[in-house]
Amino acid sequence: MSEVQRRKYSQEEKNSIFDGEFMPHIDSMYNFAYRLTFDEDDAKDLVQDTYLKSYRFINSFEQGTNAKAWLFRILKNSFINEYRKKSKQPAKVDYQEVETYYNSDDVDFQGTTDLRAESVKDMLGDEISNALNSLAVDFRTVIILCDLEGFTYEEMAKILDIPIGTVRSRLHRARNLLKEKLKGYAQHMGYKTDEEE
Amino acid sequence: MDMNEEKSGARKLRCDDTSKCFELLESILDGELGNPGKEVLKEKLAKCQPCFEHFHLEQAIREVLKNKCTKQAVPQELAKTIREKIQEAK
Ligand SMILES: [Zn+2]
Repeated sequence: MSEVQRRKYSQEEKNSIFDGEFMPHIDSMYNFAYRLTFDEDDAKDLVQDTYLKSYRFINSFEQGTNAKAWLFRILKNSFINEYRKKSKQPAKVDYQEVETYYNSDDVDFQGTTDLRAESVKDMLGDEISNALNSLAVDFRTVIILCDLEGFTYEEMAKILDIPIGTVRSRLHRARNLLKEKLKGYAQHMGYKTDEEE
Repeated sequence: MDMNEEKSGARKLRCDDTSKCFELLESILDGELGNPGKEVLKEKLAKCQPCFEHFHLEQAIREVLKNKCTKQAVPQELAKTIREKIQEAK
């Protein structure tokens, strides 16, 4: 992830890295971009920008390191620096605000009695997806990176430029918020909850 | 309910520190503790009912996120467009 240009790749090496290590991640990249922007065209632009940048800065990619994490970091930075400014979405609170706002203990999910593993398993993909999409972008992001893409905390810390401890606590809060949403769906859809028993 | 039933009588019904316990379980589920995590997990689940229930919920959530959150289909021409743009930039 170093910004330092260590060495220069030959044209042939560049092509082989780009085709062999970067392009295979296009599905995950597009999915991430779409879940950030909720717009097909914006997602396409974001992925395209990311790949153009990855090619332009290919000399700062160290072969043998995690290409997917490297690409995700570029995508996330492009999203924050460029896309978010011209976004059609209403302005979202930034990291700092979100962190402070949810830093109180009362957001902690209150026990498991009102949401059961069984009801979660019965939910449809759309319900899960909608619950995820309804989270603020910073919380949504950590869940996508961890649960959908399988990044480790350490990789997430690098992608998001935040300490591992922050990854852990943000993920914890994100999951609590997600559970609140799912609980809402479960009650709304009439899934069995403990209260009805 | 399951094979753990007879043991569950011995489990604590209240957890001393839910927040800390749950965060630990979540780290284990996220694979952050590696193999030693599995031992810690067994111990926790055997001892503490809230942790046991929480674990199953957390596991279910990870499962549905991974398996049911459908991936957005990538527009067909995207890869081609990217390659063309890169050719132009060369
Ligand atoms: Zn416990």
